[in-house]
Amino acid sequence: MEISIASGKGGVGKSTLSASLAIILNKLGRNIIAVDADADAPNLHLILGVLRWEKETSFSDTKVAEIIDEKCIRCGECMKICPHGAIYIDDSGRYRVNQVYCEGCITCRLICPVKNAIKYNKVETGIIREAFTEYGFPIISARLRPGRPNSGKIVTEEKEKARNIADKDTIIIIDSAAGIGCQVISSLAGSNMVILITEPTPAGFSDLKRIHKLTRHFMQPVALVINKYDLNPGYTDEIIKYAEEWNIDLLGLVPYDDSIPYSMARMKPVIIEYPNSKASKSLIEISYKVNDILNKWSRWMIEHRPKRPEPYKPILIKPST
Amino acid sequence: MIISVSGGKGGTGKSTVAVNLAIELAREYNLRLGDLDIEAPNDHILLGIDLNEGEPIKIMYPYIKYEGCIKCGVCGKVCDTGALLISKEGLPLLLPRLCSGCRACYLACPTKTILEGERVVGYLYENNVSIGDIKFDLVTGVLREGEEHTPPVVRIVKDRLLSKYSDIYLIDTSAGTANHVSIAIDKSDLLIAVTEPTPLGLHDLEMILEVACELNIVSWVVINRYGIGSVDKHLELAKKYKVNKIYKIPYSMAIVESYIKGVPIVIYSKNSRESMIFRDIIRDILEVY
Repeated sequence: MEISIASGKGGVGKSTLSASLAIILNKLGRNIIAVDADADAPNLHLILGVLRWEKETSFSDTKVAEIIDEKCIRCGECMKICPHGAIYIDDSGRYRVNQVYCEGCITCRLICPVKNAIKYNKVETGIIREAFTEYGFPIISARLRPGRPNSGKIVTEEKEKARNIADKDTIIIIDSAAGIGCQVISSLAGSNMVILITEPTPAGFSDLKRIHKLTRHFMQPVALVINKYDLNPGYTDEIIKYAEEWNIDLLGLVPYDDSIPYSMARMKPVIIEYPNSKASKSLIEISYKVNDILNKWSRWMIEHRPKRPEPYKPILIKPST
Repeated sequence: MIISVSGGKGGTGKSTVAVNLAIELAREYNLRLGDLDIEAPNDHILLGIDLNEGEPIKIMYPYIKYEGCIKCGVCGKVCDTGALLISKEGLPLLLPRLCSGCRACYLACPTKTILEGERVVGYLYENNVSIGDIKFDLVTGVLREGEEHTPPVVRIVKDRLLSKYSDIYLIDTSAGTANHVSIAIDKSDLLIAVTEPTPLGLHDLEMILEVACELNIVSWVVINRYGIGSVDKHLELAKKYKVNKIYKIPYSMAIVESYIKGVPIVIYSKNSRESMIFRDIIRDILEVY
């Protein structure tokens, strides 16, 4: 069973919710594996107090082009065709590859009229790390090398690792990245349930609608948590209305509470550091609700699955000739 | 000059800082603001404006004419994103979402059976923002839901931002440190890294300073929600990366209120401490550049 936590907007509480959910479900006797799927800003291990990694594996799936200067005839064809705008001419007139822009497609090599004037070097995309949290369950986290593309593949690899060590009854909790791009799509793909979290602001709501559309592409049942709900009650009502319209299960509302930033500053989950705070109470209640959902899974899933398929449809423009 | 606002972690206040700086700078200078957070573009929301009609952002899309296909499988071999699968019968099958539009299959096909079509991956919007007598341009990129390949969209939106003359270009980026962030901040004269006093903010600050360092960009740091935790390690880190300007925005309800009301703080509460900090940043920018 895989549960993804996502939000579209950054900093609305994905990792706080993921950590609480993992700890409580674990306390309720479930097998848990936490996966931090935000490879460009991995933070879940910090909340769960992981100080040392037990295992680190290098992950490389990308290559970067290099132009061999002695062979280059400076025709400029590669620069013209590069789809990523990665080729430039340096001050001495030599063709060079910008390592940040290059995504390792072999288009420049295919257009180059000289044999073997362009070669490809493998580069490390990032590392995948594994540890046990102090709460007794394992965490898998990745760290993308700053400036590298394709973080979706590293997320897929993390999830593969989690699946390999999971038992039949293990709950894999996937803390996704902000946004709706490659990494987030890889986080959602294959999840049985998605918990969206948002805050009652126009920006939070706008990003919520975008991520919700992705979950509909995947036909996933969705639950919702509204964080800092009391900051803007009118807006909270509007989001609740949206949830009702779309058959999203509202798990709960988390009040604005200083104990969350303060516990974060101390590298502790809020439900452990300030268990009696307002925010902790509702985070705990939400986690119990998720536990109930898991107990009556089939019924809940059928109730909250999108009623009609809404698959991703690319917008294509046919060739003119 | 080009100024970028980034920070690694999500929700630290990148867009808030970008929008307030934009308004203050636009009081005196020509300014173009670029919202390059194409996955969660929010600058227009913080400015309280609706995006006007957008234009599609297109990348190349290979059209396979099956009648000419000799089932050689070369197209599948040259595809580096896994978008082109070869079926059991030897025919190519394209998964549109994964295609990056690189043209490798088009170039490699020996029978010219693959033609160049296009695919819409996002939309670009150009707005004139006017708040009282403050005026500036806003260029926004929006990734289409379901598309996952962000770098080309960021690049196209950035090119548009820089295509018209302006005294100052201000770029707001997405969270994270992947290459679409690097592309957004590349060639900036200054990076303003927005962080918060938590270990999470610290961790991601280091990652973005690393990126800026690799790209040879000078970084300044804004610590938002100052007061909720220790910043000693943030200051150490700033020293290590030779950051010589650090600003602290206090953890304040005024900012939260202005955010909720959808009015940037420099307009909402012009003489607040928070607004003064934005004016300090601008004074320093003008002094140095």
